[in-house]
Amino acid sequence: MIVATTDELLGYLADVVERAERYAATILPPNDADAVAWRRRGETLAMDLEMRLPAHPRSRPVDLTLRERWRATGRDRWVLSEYGHELHHHELDYRRALHRHDEAYFIRTFGVVTHEHCETPLGRPSCGHYAGDPVPEAITGFLRLYDIWLAGRRPDCSELRCLG
Amino acid sequence: MTPLYYTPKEVAGLLRVSDDTVLDLIERGDLPALRISPRIIRIPIAAFDLWREGFRPRRRRVTISQEPEQTDASRVGAGEELPERARSIAG
Repeated sequence: MIVATTDELLGYLADVVERAERYAATILPPNDADAVAWRRRGETLAMDLEMRLPAHPRSRPVDLTLRERWRATGRDRWVLSEYGHELHHHELDYRRALHRHDEAYFIRTFGVVTHEHCETPLGRPSCGHYAGDPVPEAITGFLRLYDIWLAGRRPDCSELRCLG
Repeated sequence: MTPLYYTPKEVAGLLRVSDDTVLDLIERGDLPALRISPRIIRIPIAAFDLWREGFRPRRRRVTISQEPEQTDASRVGAGEELPERARSIAG
């Protein structure tokens, strides 16, 4: 269980944006301004950070999205409850994603908390959900997806373990 | 296929410094890099170019904005077809 205080989460979001920009990602609106925000919905704090990775001007874009949900679990205490980090490479026509959501369903059905997605081409998965290692925080998710992009080729989805 | 990254040795050549200097810059967190394994390090060319130009991201001010309660469309994994979710939406 990953927990944080409100102050820690404020600094953490600034860290994520800073890291992404150091790696030449372009942060997309509304988070490209001088201030970025956690969005509070009831007892949940939401991070929805969309960015573009570098691409040739005539190429179709490479989109990377980092999403996290932190649930209040006490006074000034938040727990990471869901995430969905996505890489959509429109030029090479693939999608890779690292997910944690609908925990009860995934534990009961597949015996896992986290899963991944791999689609080549985009929108045509040969398996609905793949096994995947947990992503402790968004910077790790960013770097894992960035590394896939950096390879410069479509990922080989058959190397992953299909859950169903 | 155009390479998207340099090796530490290639960067050492570009900067006219030793391999150890490049590894030290990476170790200190100065030069953006990805450690793929204990022996394999990749330096993204786009990030290296920015670093060489002296680009350093500005630190953002972070706030918390109040929003309406979460809707199904704003959920993580909202596009996935899960039997459980379908039952829940159906009531």
